[in-house]
Amino acid sequence: MKGIIRKIYRSVIFFISSLDQAHRMKAAEVTEYELRELENLFVLLLMGSFTGIPSPSSLVSAELIPHLGREIQLLNKRAEEAFDAFNEIAGTIGID
Amino acid sequence: MTTLIVILGALIYIGLYLKYGKSLEKNVVKATNQNDAPSKTYYDGVDYVPSKAPVLFGHHFASIAGAAPIIGPVLAMAWGWVPALLWIWFGNALIGAVHDYLSVMASVRYDGKSIQFVASDLITKRSGKLFYWIVFFLLILVIAAFAAVCAGMFVGNPAIPTSYILKICAALILGVLIYRVNMNFTLATVIGIVMLVLALWGGAMMPITASRKTWLAVFFFYIIIASAVPVNVLLQPRDYLNSFLLYAGLILGALGAIFSFKGFTAPAFTTFSPIVMGGNPTPFWPAIPLVIACGSLSGFHSLVGSGTTSKQLAKESDALPIGYGAMLTEGFLSTIVVVSVAGFGFGIMKDAGMTISAAGWGTEYTPAMMKSFPSAAMFTESYAVMVASTWLKFIPTSAVKLLAGMWVSSFAMTTLDTTNRLGRYCFAEIMLPLKGKSESAYKFFTNKWIASLVPALIGVWLAWSGSFTIVWPSFGSANQLIASMALLTGASWVTKKLGAKGTAVMIPAYALWVTVTAAIIWFSAVILPASIQKNPSTGITLLVIEVVMLLMNVIFIIDFIKSGKKEVKS
Amino acid sequence: MKSLFFTGKGGVGKSTLSSAFGYQLSQKGYKVLIVSLDPAHNLGDIFNTRLKNREIKFAENLFLAEVDLSKASKKYLKENTKVFEEVYGYLKVLNLDRYFNVLKYTPGMEENAALIEIERIFTEGIKYDFIVFDTPPTGITLRIMALPTITVNWLEQLIGIRKQILEKRYTIRHIRDGISTGDEKLVYNELDDTVIKKLYLMHEKYKKLDSMIKGENNTVSVVFNPDFLSLRESERLISSLDELGIPVRLAFNNKYDSCLSEDADKIEKQLFAGRSGIKNQRIGFADHKNSPGYSIPADLTEYYLQEY
Repeated sequence: MKGIIRKIYRSVIFFISSLDQAHRMKAAEVTEYELRELENLFVLLLMGSFTGIPSPSSLVSAELIPHLGREIQLLNKRAEEAFDAFNEIAGTIGID
Repeated sequence: MTTLIVILGALIYIGLYLKYGKSLEKNVVKATNQNDAPSKTYYDGVDYVPSKAPVLFGHHFASIAGAAPIIGPVLAMAWGWVPALLWIWFGNALIGAVHDYLSVMASVRYDGKSIQFVASDLITKRSGKLFYWIVFFLLILVIAAFAAVCAGMFVGNPAIPTSYILKICAALILGVLIYRVNMNFTLATVIGIVMLVLALWGGAMMPITASRKTWLAVFFFYIIIASAVPVNVLLQPRDYLNSFLLYAGLILGALGAIFSFKGFTAPAFTTFSPIVMGGNPTPFWPAIPLVIACGSLSGFHSLVGSGTTSKQLAKESDALPIGYGAMLTEGFLSTIVVVSVAGFGFGIMKDAGMTISAAGWGTEYTPAMMKSFPSAAMFTESYAVMVASTWLKFIPTSAVKLLAGMWVSSFAMTTLDTTNRLGRYCFAEIMLPLKGKSESAYKFFTNKWIASLVPALIGVWLAWSGSFTIVWPSFGSANQLIASMALLTGASWVTKKLGAKGTAVMIPAYALWVTVTAAIIWFSAVILPASIQKNPSTGITLLVIEVVMLLMNVIFIIDFIKSGKKEVKS
Repeated sequence: MKSLFFTGKGGVGKSTLSSAFGYQLSQKGYKVLIVSLDPAHNLGDIFNTRLKNREIKFAENLFLAEVDLSKASKKYLKENTKVFEEVYGYLKVLNLDRYFNVLKYTPGMEENAALIEIERIFTEGIKYDFIVFDTPPTGITLRIMALPTITVNWLEQLIGIRKQILEKRYTIRHIRDGISTGDEKLVYNELDDTVIKKLYLMHEKYKKLDSMIKGENNTVSVVFNPDFLSLRESERLISSLDELGIPVRLAFNNKYDSCLSEDADKIEKQLFAGRSGIKNQRIGFADHKNSPGYSIPADLTEYYLQEY
């Protein structure tokens, strides 16, 4: 009996914590998407030669590159997936 | 009876999940956790992140569930509740949920790529492009259908517009609290819920009465403005608030349906061809998928499933509860809708002074419903009466009515502006071939404001001039076409890549294609000409859209059959 | 330390005037450095000596330097290359680091290089009372003057985006409150983010340079001749500098001839229309009877020393 109660208690806690997590993730979801795109843009602007506009000082980019691992990785991914992004954005903001 | 059907529905879904879904997983797709899901192989802490199954289920369900699974079944009640439920139960478990599951799994095995990508890889390059065309039409027709729904709701219950405006204000405030001030999340949520309740109360206090066309004009400007503001100002906090309306609506509805113990007053079966679309007799086959889209089958789910869900799936065995299970859950929601209308719709229409009888239901239901409780109002009314018939009657009926109204219109309104955002992107995508051929035209059409105005304008105008019973099936046709294409893609994936015989997938895929194609031909040949006589411009616009979609559908199936003969080296 | 730039069309006499100006200042007992940024390099010829990038002592209180822009830009690119080589040091193992030499051929680096040199001269030149710059032709000068402003603006935009990124990261972390998604290492505090710190540092550097060029201690003068060709270019120069927020304070109507006084009046009137803050001085063939030929007034610096 005690075991059953403990089991029920545990699953209730699990349910509530999952619910809480789902809510938190839902509330942050679009911002996360926005963040990724901002980071992507940041590097894109920094690497002037990518956008075709020579940036005022390439020294700036050269010094920052080692600290922008994640952002550059994002830039790469986006360059690869940009043509296939419709579903992701549709799923993120949702239409139905 | 109400109680019985709800329980029966749940049992059928559970049974089919265990029997059919599991065998699909085991014998056809051969899902195994020995394969790493893309969320692990491509793990980057960014897009590809494994999520816990319950969390992802909630997320996936919230993405696919909206107002559509409510509205379709209400219209389908013209056939009687048995045909409606049959399609919702078996159409869902044997076609719709299979479609969702395959989209997720094909995408998973394709490293999280979209279903369009899978189609262009397995069928032909242009197959993937065809998707975007239909998606673009879908987006326009969604605006048309949902603007019509919202206008109907706003006119039917003048408390809803006030509540909705207040809810927008609440969302704006919540947006500041969560995303600007970084308030404690739980506290902000509580404040949000309190504001939501106040919005409902405020709506009841100060109703706004305006005509249908006034609201449609307002929607047009709302779409343009709402789709231009930053996402965490309005879109995100509003969606977050919406999820609480969804919970409240679902929980109350489930309790109401289970504890109402009421016999059905609506007939089980009327006739094969009752009056549904545009005041014309509408045959159950092939027309049913155009009427009940979400709830049984929705092509939009394949986009979500292969866009975000597949990238977050922790392991392959999670795909069945999430892809297949969430769809069944949506079907369960539609079941509740059918139960509430079947149990209480007759009574409330009589109370509203409509002449309707069980015997003449087939011809009388749709006209009477459109007159007294247009679109989803039929559901919110019967939903409120259903809840009031149980021990939940301590809640005032008007409050339940308003809650249900807000639930449906909030989801529909949300769809209006998110659809418009996507429309911009999709428009640019399909205009791509213009580039290089006519630079100035390309520039014109891909201009952000032009691309934003075109879907909003066409959509709202269709809702403005067209009858709802025509606009809604048009939306259904685009949706079902995408579903048909996605299911064919899934079938192609099963046979070519998995080497499975795939009859379990091929039969529904072909059956669906034949049904949808027949439905669109019938719709274009019978319903639309009648509509053109009444309202030429709307009818012709719809006819053009349908014919273009039909053409693409034919190109798709030809490519599909041709590619099926070629062997693919894997 | 105060500085003075002589700008103007090629051939109007910038080098002559800047040399005379600097020389006169040094005669008054001020410690002066004259720097030529002009690729034509007349400075050495004027003082009849060979000059280098580094300043040399020419006389008591007078120091001279000639910045070779093409050499400076090579040096600048070399530094740039060094940064790359430092970051990708492991490439040395494969001798791939030599490919960074490609950077040496990067086009359009002269302005950057000139600016770096000006910055160096400014920071090293505190020991002087005055630094007088002889500038290259108008186009290059304008680009050099514009560069700090442009770079500051650009850096401010980048800092703005970076701040948004950090804010959003914080918001997401705050909402998530411990739900793991694998990006825990993401910094969200400005104090921890190397990228924004570096951006601030660079911003500060360029801001300083910008305020030095635009500041009270710097004077920009324009040299022109009493002919209409020189008028047009000077007009453009003055208005472009105005747009950059660098007001011209001194003007020298060089090679003036009293027999051209009508033209000179017209030109000066046009050039200074609506600009009251510019002090003009006529230099040249002042009076045919008393002092024949071109002569530079005994004291060019009087007004400048009074006002600035």
